[in-house]
Amino acid sequence: MVIETSRFGGIDVDDQKFLNFPKGLLGFPDDREYALIQTGENSAFYWMQAVHRPELAFVVCDPRMFVPEYRIAIKAEDLGQIGLAETSGSQVFVIVNKVDDTLTANLQGPLVINVATRVGKQLVLSEKKFTTRHPLMKLPARIAALTKTA
Amino acid sequence: MLVLSRQRDETIMIGDEIEITVVDIRGDKVRLGITAPTHISVHRKEVYDAIQRENRAAANIKPEDLPPPGSTPPGDPNDRRPRGPGGPPRRS
Repeated sequence: MVIETSRFGGIDVDDQKFLNFPKGLLGFPDDREYALIQTGENSAFYWMQAVHRPELAFVVCDPRMFVPEYRIAIKAEDLGQIGLAETSGSQVFVIVNKVDDTLTANLQGPLVINVATRVGKQLVLSEKKFTTRHPLMKLPARIAALTKTA
Repeated sequence: MLVLSRQRDETIMIGDEIEITVVDIRGDKVRLGITAPTHISVHRKEVYDAIQRENRAAANIKPEDLPPPGSTPPGDPNDRRPRGPGGPPRRS
């Protein structure tokens, strides 16, 4: 189906592959369905576009691509809420932000998704070693400059 | 807001299943012990608030904020690609 987005116009997405967050994300409890969209052929980043709100989209990535030591313990209760008994059927994404000239990731509030059913949940980790703005990479000055004029 | 006075080792009950005990009091710091069923999540509020705040900030990201395709990630080019659940749909 075609969904409207403020960033990309109308895009055609497979509604069988929507991600479903029954409780939404923290701060966005009413937006439950998202489409996962590649940002480019070789990019580590995906857009997670709200299906029913054109202006709401997040950039997400697999945290292990940037932070190999990132390990989280997912409570059985949280797994149960996405219909899993163990972590093997899950995939973890983190939400990416741009802070000045750096891309950061929210390692304290990861998204855990049941790969088979695409039902997901945003976790709240209490470990203090993870932050909401873990630096992933500095953007090249060239890109930062382009961004300013865009 | 209900306000109760408690001393060390005293407990309050919330419903039938949640117990909050004052474990220790030192200066301006109070240590609480919380017993709750596993389906009740217990978090420090500032952590919850920080994640919510960061979600709101991250929702403002724009396509031009990302590096050009092919320039990421740093590191092993043989790394497995991140997989979306069932494979992410492509932009059309």
